[in-house]
Amino acid sequence: MPMGYKRVASAAAMMLLLAGSANAAGFTAEQAAAGKIAYDGNCGRCHGMNLEGVEAPGLAGSDVMQNWDTAEGLYDFISVAMPPAAPGQLGEDTYINIVSYIMSFNGAQPGDKAMSADPTLLASISLPAETAAGAAAAAPPNVETDVTPNASNAVPQAFTYGKQLPGGTAPTAAATASKGVPQAYTFGKTLPSASSN
Amino acid sequence: MKLGFLKACLVATTAVVSLSSMAYAQVTPRESYKPVTDEMLQNPPAEEWLMWRGNYANQGYSELETINKDNVAGLQLAWAWPMADVGIQETAPLVHDGIMFLQTNNSIVEALDAKTGDKIWEYRQALTELPASWSYQINQARRQKNSIALYDDKVILTTADAKIVVLNAKDGTVAWEKQVLDPQLGYSYTIGPVIADGKIISAISGCSIAGTAGGCYIMAHDVNTGDEVWRFNTIDDPKNPKQQESWGEVPPENRWGGTPWATGAYDPKTNTTFWGVGMPGPYAELIRGSGEGSVLYTNSTLAIDAGTGELKWYFQHLPRDNWDLDSPFERILVDQEIDGVMHSMVVSVPGKNGIAFGLDRDTGKYLWSKETVKQNVVTAIDEDGTVHINTDLISTAVGESHLVCTSVSGGKLWQAGAYSPKTATFFVPLTEACNTVAPTQTEFTAGNAVGAVKFGPRVLPEGITDAGLVQALSVSPTAGDSKWQARSRPSMTSSLLATAGGLVFGGDAGRYVKAWDQETGDVLWQQRLNAPIGGYPMTYEIDGEQYLVVPTGYSAAASTISSAFPEIPLPTGTGNSIFVFKLPAAAK
Repeated sequence: MPMGYKRVASAAAMMLLLAGSANAAGFTAEQAAAGKIAYDGNCGRCHGMNLEGVEAPGLAGSDVMQNWDTAEGLYDFISVAMPPAAPGQLGEDTYINIVSYIMSFNGAQPGDKAMSADPTLLASISLPAETAAGAAAAAPPNVETDVTPNASNAVPQAFTYGKQLPGGTAPTAAATASKGVPQAYTFGKTLPSASSN
Repeated sequence: MKLGFLKACLVATTAVVSLSSMAYAQVTPRESYKPVTDEMLQNPPAEEWLMWRGNYANQGYSELETINKDNVAGLQLAWAWPMADVGIQETAPLVHDGIMFLQTNNSIVEALDAKTGDKIWEYRQALTELPASWSYQINQARRQKNSIALYDDKVILTTADAKIVVLNAKDGTVAWEKQVLDPQLGYSYTIGPVIADGKIISAISGCSIAGTAGGCYIMAHDVNTGDEVWRFNTIDDPKNPKQQESWGEVPPENRWGGTPWATGAYDPKTNTTFWGVGMPGPYAELIRGSGEGSVLYTNSTLAIDAGTGELKWYFQHLPRDNWDLDSPFERILVDQEIDGVMHSMVVSVPGKNGIAFGLDRDTGKYLWSKETVKQNVVTAIDEDGTVHINTDLISTAVGESHLVCTSVSGGKLWQAGAYSPKTATFFVPLTEACNTVAPTQTEFTAGNAVGAVKFGPRVLPEGITDAGLVQALSVSPTAGDSKWQARSRPSMTSSLLATAGGLVFGGDAGRYVKAWDQETGDVLWQQRLNAPIGGYPMTYEIDGEQYLVVPTGYSAAASTISSAFPEIPLPTGTGNSIFVFKLPAAAK
């Protein structure tokens, strides 16, 4: 393994980095329960009954949550494109329930306020922040439990890992000082934000 | 002979011993299997299909013409076969000496009697077990796998867990195997090799998975011993300062991508192999950290000396990619003699943005380009081949979203086009699609991809209602001109096959396999099957009868854009199968 990788010890640093922007809960327990039924019937065949993927991309894990970014990102995609056999045809409530279930499965906790298809509301629900605690506890991204990782299994990261990028969250001391898992070149850098531009 | 027969049966499967004599009769002895020679690979017999695209030039073209424009409407089903596994269906059946070699997902290979459809043997293995959370990497085993290769008396398989496995063609037993790269880092083979110059030449995939940072390789192994002869790293070339500069400050250990995920072509005259290279990772330069750099050799054509692995030339089709618009697809070698001068070209729609290119094969010099589907990422291509990109579509902030055409699912995708030397026409299966792309700042996790973008759903470009397009391009050394376009509401989901019978075969998400007239684009035959048409349709001849093989099954090219044709519901069953057609006796 070449030297020079930017690493962090675990997901904890990223979670710290993201914490604080959480909009409490974002969905109700009833929505998540209804979402599980809808997910199992419409999505699980390809995305896995445990969201593990196999025939289609997995829907569990911190990187999945970070890439969808907000409930709006996930809702906008699935309410148009999914499931392939009936794209966009499940109805608004069902898609909202499925988003709730995917968040719940990834560790987000339900609350009193129901999720709706209001774009402003959906955009305010951060998937990484809401799911951080659960995802870290259930499947630490960089500490695999199913196999024993060897030294070369440490995860390389982007050159920007730990760096402040426009629009990105400010890096914390924990993120920039951490070792162990290589990250993007820009990781931890402050990047410009679309919303602040 | 009898002893050999029994031995073959016993080796093929232990279950045979407990079956009836009827079952014995279904296992044809293959002790007489005719080895595949270098001469055959250089000049494939018309009645066979020995490699991925039928010949070293990757043309997807057959000289057979028993099935032709006059009689194609009479095609009838000869036999069908369900594939051995589920998953995205991209199989490329091969035929030699009366045997069809069929590879399916999870690196399973079956040998079938190509005339009757009876199974001869099956090879399965236990792939390296990976943690359930490595969902992107696990998914790799259920997708792609475009081909296997035949050489001598062997079948050469590259596996989802980064091994080369060499099987004995007569019975499917393992001759030898070699672990090439470490699947625990993310490496996996999704494409098969080309066998040339005494070498197994292939390329590794998984280079957008976090653990593979810094290394993505085209590699050559000795065809007899498996010893590594050379490797070429597509994202780190210390011999080329321009390549290093093109990544800006980003050191090799923070570079990803550059996956050459379509099998290369080979030119025996110059002992050169031609490969296409995929996108850079992370997808957006904001996250990648590479600034305005062109990030070589991503989205390029590479001409590599098959003997030494030295780079002869490269041409970059899409510099500074910010949208996951890979350019790894099939490079086709075309020779045209005009006024006594031989013109040697590489012709391709190399990338997802659907732009066709003609290059001089010996120098890499740009000859021409031609847009096909709606795209907005390339604004101009100069006469010297310099490609200008639309910088308005480059996100300068995390979360900044742009509508980009084509989409991450193409435009062009893995489905290969076909070139007919008879009509000097290149036929390309394409999809009209756009999506939004917005960078995200992500911590990478083991076994998962480093893309770090949020994609919106695939949507049709404004004003377009048909997702599917077959583009026919008249090819010359100076231009690729549109000859015809055949549009269809559902997306194209299979590769194309061109034949000397004047036909082009392929199919769509609506489950129709079609035969188009090479000259006009008219549909001369169509048949609805059980699932989206997939894989690589091919053809062969046995005992004077020409057979057409049509794979079907679960298709990412269908599922990612199905919202564009909701009135044509996709099946939820995978349906992975092959259907084999031939003409009725009276029509021959």
